[in-house]
Amino acid sequence: MDEKLITISQAAEYLGVSLNTLRRWDESGKLVAIKKDGGTHRYYREKDLEIFASDLMKFASEWIQDGIEFPSTFYCPTSSIFNARLTKMQSALMQKPGFEKLYSLIVLVAGEIGDNSFAHNLGKWSDTAGIFFGYDLAKGIIVLADRGLGILETLRQVRPELPNHVTAVKVAFTEFISGRAPEKRGNGLKLVREVVMEQPIDLFFTSGDAEVRLKGAGKVFQVTRGRRTVRGCLAKIEF
Amino acid sequence: MKLQIEKFGKTLISRELGSEAFKAFQPTLREFSHDEELEIDFAGVLTLSPSWADEFLSPLLSQLGDRLILLPSDNLSVHATLKILLEANKHPFNIKS
Repeated sequence: MDEKLITISQAAEYLGVSLNTLRRWDESGKLVAIKKDGGTHRYYREKDLEIFASDLMKFASEWIQDGIEFPSTFYCPTSSIFNARLTKMQSALMQKPGFEKLYSLIVLVAGEIGDNSFAHNLGKWSDTAGIFFGYDLAKGIIVLADRGLGILETLRQVRPELPNHVTAVKVAFTEFISGRAPEKRGNGLKLVREVVMEQPIDLFFTSGDAEVRLKGAGKVFQVTRGRRTVRGCLAKIEF
Repeated sequence: MKLQIEKFGKTLISRELGSEAFKAFQPTLREFSHDEELEIDFAGVLTLSPSWADEFLSPLLSQLGDRLILLPSDNLSVHATLKILLEANKHPFNIKS
């Protein structure tokens, strides 16, 4: 019970959010603060903040779904910030036992998905520019998300006849798109699929109401229609 | 002539930076004689993505054709990326074994 408590200012710095956000989260029950002896000052246990910040999928899903704020440490407003953080992740992953060679394919998959978000939404972001990029190498999880146009709308620039999200995502992951100009969607997601199919890497990818789940042994590539429609793209990579 | 790709960075991911690298290399390429080969050395590269490579290697292939030689690499991302570019480009890459 003697666990050291940290102040609201320290907690705000730790999570990269404002004091007002922490107060709001406390009032809504999202992240409840501790008040000493019925006082009004808010305190937090460091361990609770660690646990709170570790739910990457929750932050990413809530952000693309409802625009809910998340700790700024996961936010990459520009492609260059994403590249810098990806390089940092790469250095750490190279040190992880068993990943001495595999690291480059995991960085390729994460890099390709993250870079696609920037390449296809440049100047077209509907509200917040940039992406969510969070990872926990100890747990073997990387989460990427954007609130951009999504696969269907970007691909319709070269394939106006595409009928729905499921078909668009299938095309993005399986076909070489000829005559790409002006939409430069290359071969990135094709390679992401090939790498994930062959390697001990799992992928969950969703855009609109289309979902791709490649998991475990004997992976089969298929695009299904999910229950909810997300804005932009959301990807979870596990290894 | 041998080009160390590492000079453009060790982590080559973004389409935008691949395109920048291609533009930056153009003055060097203009001094290149018509019968000379360009060898691409991937040593030191940690991760190469298809987006970066598509902006750099694909247009180089269009310019140089068979005079573009790719040197072997044991990096898994280089392997995977070259394989997909080979499938995407009608003209195959000249890979030195």
